[in-house]
Amino acid sequence: MAQASVQHRAEQLASRLPALLVAADRVATTVAQGVHGRRRVGQGDSFWQFRQYEPGDAAQRIDWRESAKSQRLYVRETEWEAAQSIWLWRDASPSMDYHSDPQLPTKRARADLLLVALAALLVRGGERASLIGSGLPPLSGRVALNRIAALIDRPADTAAASLPGFEPLPRYAQLVLIGDFLSPLDEIHAAIGRYSASGLRGHMLQILDPAEETLPFDGRVRFEGIESDDSVLISRVETVRDEYVERLAAHREGLVAIARPAGWSFATHRTDRPPHAALLALYMALSRQPGS
Amino acid sequence: MLSLGALAFASPWLLAGLAILPVLWWLLRVTPPAPRRLRFPAIRLLLGLVPREETPARTPLWLILLRMLLVALAIIGLAHPLLNPSARLAIDGPLLLVVDDGWAAAHDWPARQRLMRELIDQAERENRRVVLLDTAPRPGGEAAPAISIQRASDARAAAEALTPLPWPTNRSAALSRLDALTMANANVVWISDGLESEDAFGFAERLNRLGTLRVVSDPADRLATLIAPAQQDGADLAVAVHRPSAEAPAEIAVRVSGDDGRLLTRQSTTLAAGQRDAEIKLPMPGELRNQAARAEIEGEASAGAVLLLDERWRRRPVGIVSTQPGEAPQPLLTGTFYLERALNPFSEVRRGTVGDLLKRETAMLVLADAAPSGREEHDALVKWLDDGGVLLRFAGPDLAESSDDLLPVTLRRGGRTIGGALSWEQPARLASFPPNSPFAGLAIPDDVTVLRQVLAEPSLDLADKTWARLSDGTPLVTGERRGKGWLVLVHTTGSPAWSNLALSGLFVDMLRRVVGLSQGVAGAGDAPLAPVETLDGYGRLQQAPASARSIAGKDFASAVASASQPPGFYGTLDARHALNLASAVPTLKPLGRLPAGVTRDSFTRGSEVDLRPGLLAAAMTLVLLDLLIAYALRGLLPGLARRGATAALVAAIALASPAVRADDDDFALQASSELRLAYIQTGDPQVDQVSLAGLRGLTAVLGRRTAVESGEPMAVDPEKDELIFFPLIYWPVTPDQPTLSPRATERLNRYLATGGTIFFDTRDQGEGGTGRVAGSATQRLRQIAAGLNIPPLQPVPPDHVLTKSFYLLQEFPGRWAGGQIWVQPTEDRVNDGVSTIIIGSNDYAGAWAIDAQGRPAYAVVPGGEPQREMAYRFGVNLVMYTLTGNYKSDQVHVPAILERLGQ
Repeated sequence: MAQASVQHRAEQLASRLPALLVAADRVATTVAQGVHGRRRVGQGDSFWQFRQYEPGDAAQRIDWRESAKSQRLYVRETEWEAAQSIWLWRDASPSMDYHSDPQLPTKRARADLLLVALAALLVRGGERASLIGSGLPPLSGRVALNRIAALIDRPADTAAASLPGFEPLPRYAQLVLIGDFLSPLDEIHAAIGRYSASGLRGHMLQILDPAEETLPFDGRVRFEGIESDDSVLISRVETVRDEYVERLAAHREGLVAIARPAGWSFATHRTDRPPHAALLALYMALSRQPGS
Repeated sequence: MLSLGALAFASPWLLAGLAILPVLWWLLRVTPPAPRRLRFPAIRLLLGLVPREETPARTPLWLILLRMLLVALAIIGLAHPLLNPSARLAIDGPLLLVVDDGWAAAHDWPARQRLMRELIDQAERENRRVVLLDTAPRPGGEAAPAISIQRASDARAAAEALTPLPWPTNRSAALSRLDALTMANANVVWISDGLESEDAFGFAERLNRLGTLRVVSDPADRLATLIAPAQQDGADLAVAVHRPSAEAPAEIAVRVSGDDGRLLTRQSTTLAAGQRDAEIKLPMPGELRNQAARAEIEGEASAGAVLLLDERWRRRPVGIVSTQPGEAPQPLLTGTFYLERALNPFSEVRRGTVGDLLKRETAMLVLADAAPSGREEHDALVKWLDDGGVLLRFAGPDLAESSDDLLPVTLRRGGRTIGGALSWEQPARLASFPPNSPFAGLAIPDDVTVLRQVLAEPSLDLADKTWARLSDGTPLVTGERRGKGWLVLVHTTGSPAWSNLALSGLFVDMLRRVVGLSQGVAGAGDAPLAPVETLDGYGRLQQAPASARSIAGKDFASAVASASQPPGFYGTLDARHALNLASAVPTLKPLGRLPAGVTRDSFTRGSEVDLRPGLLAAAMTLVLLDLLIAYALRGLLPGLARRGATAALVAAIALASPAVRADDDDFALQASSELRLAYIQTGDPQVDQVSLAGLRGLTAVLGRRTAVESGEPMAVDPEKDELIFFPLIYWPVTPDQPTLSPRATERLNRYLATGGTIFFDTRDQGEGGTGRVAGSATQRLRQIAAGLNIPPLQPVPPDHVLTKSFYLLQEFPGRWAGGQIWVQPTEDRVNDGVSTIIIGSNDYAGAWAIDAQGRPAYAVVPGGEPQREMAYRFGVNLVMYTLTGNYKSDQVHVPAILERLGQ
């Protein structure tokens, strides 16, 4: 039920955007059939070129209509079309299971929703999608969406890391990382750096609860960590609010500084905002032509 | 014991604890409240953040004040505060509790009992023994048990059992009981009724010798008041009220009520300062006066504040001797007509022969120009006169010719005509009444004249016997004592024949005075009068206790209420004689001088209230509240407020019943704006649909063929809808219909009682119907109808209105044929002869039902379309029957109907 529900809501969300065709400047070198023209002859549906018949070509490949226009025989060649592979990841650590107000969705729920919605868009666009760390090969079609949704919907894993582990991915694949990225900057840098070093492009979406952004508490509060046993007692929270906001801004700048040199995009999202905005941002980032 | 006005502390040293309050204040100020605990993912960003301001968060001021209040309440509560603390027992001996439990203590008995309880509680606390001495004689005058020194708990039970008694106290008798006890150093408390008695001083002196005496009584202006018969019994009922003290003006109201407790009249009077007694007149119409059974002082529940009224206060039965029973053909010419009219306002007039009248109790007999008809009657009259009857005779032509011995004076034969046609004399006027006459003081109108009279033979005592005379000195009314009774003669007629006296208002007044001479029917008889109902101390009539003794009839007039003869009604239930307490209470005076060294006290002081439990409970409540607040401040009560709000909202919605009311109004409007047929919803959708379609079909037929224009049929649910709007309700009975709730049963019964008709259709003719073998629906109907007021039913007789109210019918087929229709027998003339219940079994709605196109919806068996037509005709007859009642059963139409029948 829950799986159907997340998937259903995600598809509903994704239905408002056109099918996502990941603008691939360099399509992953896969043999899988896809919609990305590889600017070379191969298997595909799109016309690429006519060339003169050469001995050895099968007679069936001769384009009779073109050949009839002249004295020569022509063979019709199609462009090799390949599918782009998108590797998705979202933070499943306990710290994502947080919402400051029961009215708001948890960060985890919002991340799941965005991820499945994105997957739905990709699948509709004929792309191949998979989850990092799942061991699932990139798939396309409804099957991929169902499998991703099933994987996503597993109960929270307390041992789940708050950053993606490294696994070798095909070159030119794209990554989409969704999480709160509240880990220390150097850890994040290390995790992202391994992917960017292998030439992969990616997108980071930071999802935060509004309370994490504004620290709207008053009075004497003992804050307790969720993943760690840290706790800090602040006698008057209102006095440290400004400082906290500054720290958060600095952290974000650090994230941008990690993403920018690697050619990655970075966006933020708050759970009290509608998810469409974040989905649209991801959509734009994925479909943007590099350099444009 | 620390005492501050009305407040005292049993453990005052604990109040020192209040000194810690400032310390507590300081502590609460410096101790910050416990922090809220929050789980927060971005804690890493918070680590190392140091608040610029090191001042810790403060406990809010209101919370500090709350906690201070809590501690203060607890400290004060532990100090055991007492409101209105009662005095401790003064000296170290037992408690002697002397209680006046006579009638005068009844009006504030609860206060006395409270005081007794308090004193005994106190004695128990201080571990003293208690002696309880009540001063009123025991019922029946039996000897009181010897008093003894008791434990406080036993004394408490005895004190609780004390009730005020409906007679005065006897203090010296109580003193003699004390002799049996040797006691010294006693704390004597005399809970007195505050009334003086001859022995009161000696009583107090003796008590004071036993120890210290404290006399507790009401203040003088709150002592018991007494109601007594008025000295003068005038035209109106009058009572006298007495009070012991006349220090302040007071308002006293007297109410008169009947045997059934109904209030007949109420009068109040204000006693000025210095005025102890007052007479209150209670004017009432004669009919009401005769019903009066008791007069009581309002707001005083005691035997002394109740005056029981018996025959003596009532209208006296007066017999007019008349051989002619009933109304005469020419009443204005008879001698008795005027007498009857004049006596009626203040007495109960009976007519009959002497024998008949004397068989019943009669206070006065009137003989208008008539004589006892025989020796027996004469002897009976003489005996009755000796027993106290009043015989009033009027002269006339017969008496003028033949006198007898039942006359106060000897009469001269023949009468005297004054101012006749052959006389120069003027008609005689009345002289003013002599002072010894019962008529003394009555005003004489100028126009009363006497034309003829009978004359008395002069005799020595004639002047003494003369009660009224004419202006020339001849006696007009003479009277004589005979035995205990009176013999009175009016020397003229009781009609306008000889004098216009009978037409004047003076006549009424004179008759009233004569009736007043009679002693009613009360005093008669020497037989002992047994107590019937007696008053208890609170002035309530009770079954007479076994201890109450009879009173000899002849002594009754002088009887005095006492312990063996409590105030109440004596005699028999039919002839009750009232014995009132007032005779036993000579004069009311407040308790006078007391020996030196006696303290006096009153009940006005409020009773002791222990404040400790209340204060400690309040402190405990505050502790709980503080706990909740502390939790809330730490964020441990998430959503509590929201849940509370939701609950409040739900409650508010549940309470918002106007919507339901609006529904009711809609229903009523819909049902009453047009004539509508109605059917009961069975809960079976198919049956309900058939009912609706059937009634629709019937409505269409009615509209086409008759003047009945009814609207769309309505479904009703007796559980919630008002039924009163519908003349006829069709009730298809299904085997699985739920039984009625008591509410619905009550509603249906009301509907049936107010003219509604219910047509039950068991629809089970196919499976046995209402015949010998009950179908399933018939069985169900029996269960449903168990609570309804269903009259006996009979099969429709051949001449029933239902057979001719519109169409002439003998068969009543529906979808099935052959079932019997049951109605109420027409002998019952209730509800205009319309049967409230009609029961059939032929599934009529099924036959009447039409579909949306107006075509019959169900086949009828076995008769086909003719049978359907008959079913419609029955429906029309049924509606006509319920709407027009027994109109068609009028004999007027029988000839025409017979003619059409070809008979």
